[in-house]
Amino acid sequence: MSKIKNANRLTGKEVRAIAKQNKKIIRKLEAYKNRKAEETEYLGHMSKPENILEIDNLHTYFFTEQGVVKAVNGVSFDIPKNTTVGVVGESGCGKSVTSMSVMRLIQGPTGQIYSGSIRFNAKLDNGETKVYDIAKMPMDDIHKIRGNQIAMIFQEPMTSLNPVFTIGQQLDEVTFINHPEATKEDAKAKSLEMLDLVGIAMPERVYDAYPHELSGGMRQRVMISMALASDPRLIIADEPTTALDVTIQAQILDLLRDLKTRIDGSIMLITHDLGIIAEMADYVVVMYAGRVIEKGPVSEIFHNPLHPYTIGLQKSKPTLNSDSDTLFNIPGNVPNPVNMPNHCYFKERCGKCIGKCSGEYPQMFEVTPNHFVACHLYGKEDQNG
Amino acid sequence: MAEVLNNENQKSENILEVRNLRKCFPLKKTMTGKVTQELVAVDDVSFTLKAGETLGIVGESGCGKTTLGRTILKLHKSSGGKIIFDGVDITDLKPKQMREIRKQMQIIFQDPYSSLPPRSTVGGILSEPVSVHKIVPKGEVKDYVLDLMEKCGLRDYYYERYPHEFSGGQRQRICIARALSVKPKLVICDEPVSALDVSIQAQIINLLKQLQKDMNLTYVFISHDLSVVKFISDKIGVMYLGSMVEFGTKEDIFANPLHPYTQALFSAIPQPDPDLKMNRIILKGDIPSPANPPKGCRFHTRCPYATDKCKEEVPEYKDYGNGHFVACHLLQK
Repeated sequence: MSKIKNANRLTGKEVRAIAKQNKKIIRKLEAYKNRKAEETEYLGHMSKPENILEIDNLHTYFFTEQGVVKAVNGVSFDIPKNTTVGVVGESGCGKSVTSMSVMRLIQGPTGQIYSGSIRFNAKLDNGETKVYDIAKMPMDDIHKIRGNQIAMIFQEPMTSLNPVFTIGQQLDEVTFINHPEATKEDAKAKSLEMLDLVGIAMPERVYDAYPHELSGGMRQRVMISMALASDPRLIIADEPTTALDVTIQAQILDLLRDLKTRIDGSIMLITHDLGIIAEMADYVVVMYAGRVIEKGPVSEIFHNPLHPYTIGLQKSKPTLNSDSDTLFNIPGNVPNPVNMPNHCYFKERCGKCIGKCSGEYPQMFEVTPNHFVACHLYGKEDQNG
Repeated sequence: MAEVLNNENQKSENILEVRNLRKCFPLKKTMTGKVTQELVAVDDVSFTLKAGETLGIVGESGCGKTTLGRTILKLHKSSGGKIIFDGVDITDLKPKQMREIRKQMQIIFQDPYSSLPPRSTVGGILSEPVSVHKIVPKGEVKDYVLDLMEKCGLRDYYYERYPHEFSGGQRQRICIARALSVKPKLVICDEPVSALDVSIQAQIINLLKQLQKDMNLTYVFISHDLSVVKFISDKIGVMYLGSMVEFGTKEDIFANPLHPYTQALFSAIPQPDPDLKMNRIILKGDIPSPANPPKGCRFHTRCPYATDKCKEEVPEYKDYGNGHFVACHLLQK
């Protein structure tokens, strides 16, 4: 039996050096985040007018004692109006951190948006539209967008509701924040309307109930109604059904699909379940280790997957219709997020490596219209993503 | 040893037989200790399992599938019914007598993060059961453990590492190695892949299948993921609110699901194919509280075909040919 030095262990000296470096960067980023700024400073332009959100080369880093974790490392994708964009990937691939960056909910001082831009097409009360760069907005101004223009549905409905207030109090609060002039009666009427919209049978009774009196599915419905109460343009649903049972999941997915046709907005759906993506999404973004490795329309991703990881992911999931004896599996694990290699992150687990794979990280190639892949297998010399 | 059943044939055929098993948890007690209200977690469940087979148990949360697994292992004391393991009735065995049996039945838990002791090394975790049950002579323990680790896909230098240094998939491999270290006949897998990512899930499922072939293991595979259960099982039992509503071979259950709940459960799974348009049966409402289950058939509150009879009478759990058991009034005509 041989002993091999554990590469994950750091000496005290190394840890202190890392801490010193981190402190310097964090101080700069925190000052930028908390600055006072004129609105003109963070106005931008959309590259395509039909998009509601454009994430462009986003980098979100966590400055930990072990080193810098590049949780989101150059992510770019667009969300057009009235579409559902599904973000899929395994745990730790940065899909939740991307959504948290859009909401500016990254926990500081460790977590920081390092660079990149998140352009959002906001619709103001007077009807005109303005393009804000969320990544550049100071924290004091973020309330212009967070909660009213972009709403979020969290993964765990059990812990996202406040246990000491009734559902009614929590729902009314949304109306009061967005319309400070509203009366109590107005707020209640709006809340009941929202509860009715998400298919709760007895809105009056749920309005006066506390969260613990409701089942998981009901709580998730309340969370969805809360997100809808401010008439958002974009709803971010972060694993909305992971904590629920299959039959309840079917109800909630049915509801979300129904809502998209009723409200005039887009949905960014984050999940690890390819089945949900196939059913709900119009456009799919596949992430691996903090990067987008493939993105394209849903039929392209499922019928013509290109990246070896996407292909492997689809083959390793047992389905009800397949009859094979052993499952395909992707060997190995996701690389350590602190010391990411310079070459393609999937190289060690990939069965189709070519000589080029040891070189630089591959760029995004557009293979068919709107279908992009970051893999050397499909790259041509003249194309640059 | 306790009483050995006379029927020798049964011993060789069925490794596990569960007859009318019940498990109740007391909810309220009077001052004298008399139970006034109880929660029936497992109600009247019966099935048999042959050696080398895999039984998949599916159901939603709170349907009693984990309690069933633990009651079979006697981690919970059963409240009624019989558990016959390898021809021996183990229902009323004393703890001391159970120790011999424990060697032969093991469990793999759902969460690999909380089911490994953080302060002992992988070697320590795996050698302890081997030396306690004297599986191999003292001097050979380490070699035996290293051999086992290799079978489960663990490198030999992991022997001196601690659980926190491993990822979820590797921890689950350690849990599997620990369960197999005492050479069991029956392994209860309680949602072994639910906490893992899809690509790691496939690795663990393939490992479990390989080990079953090599060591002739019998699995009871508990999961809420129907596609995983279909992949690994020979027989499938569907549970709803504590009782088994349908039981049969994999082929029968998937080709011809008879109970309305099984049908709804199958149609609720999202399939990774965007062109597939399914006639989804969406069940109304939530699962009733197991502390206060509905009268009659327990599924009648959500069943699209419920009749007045369903609200009054509990349906009989009957064989509809080829060992395909269903509990539903609709079929009894």
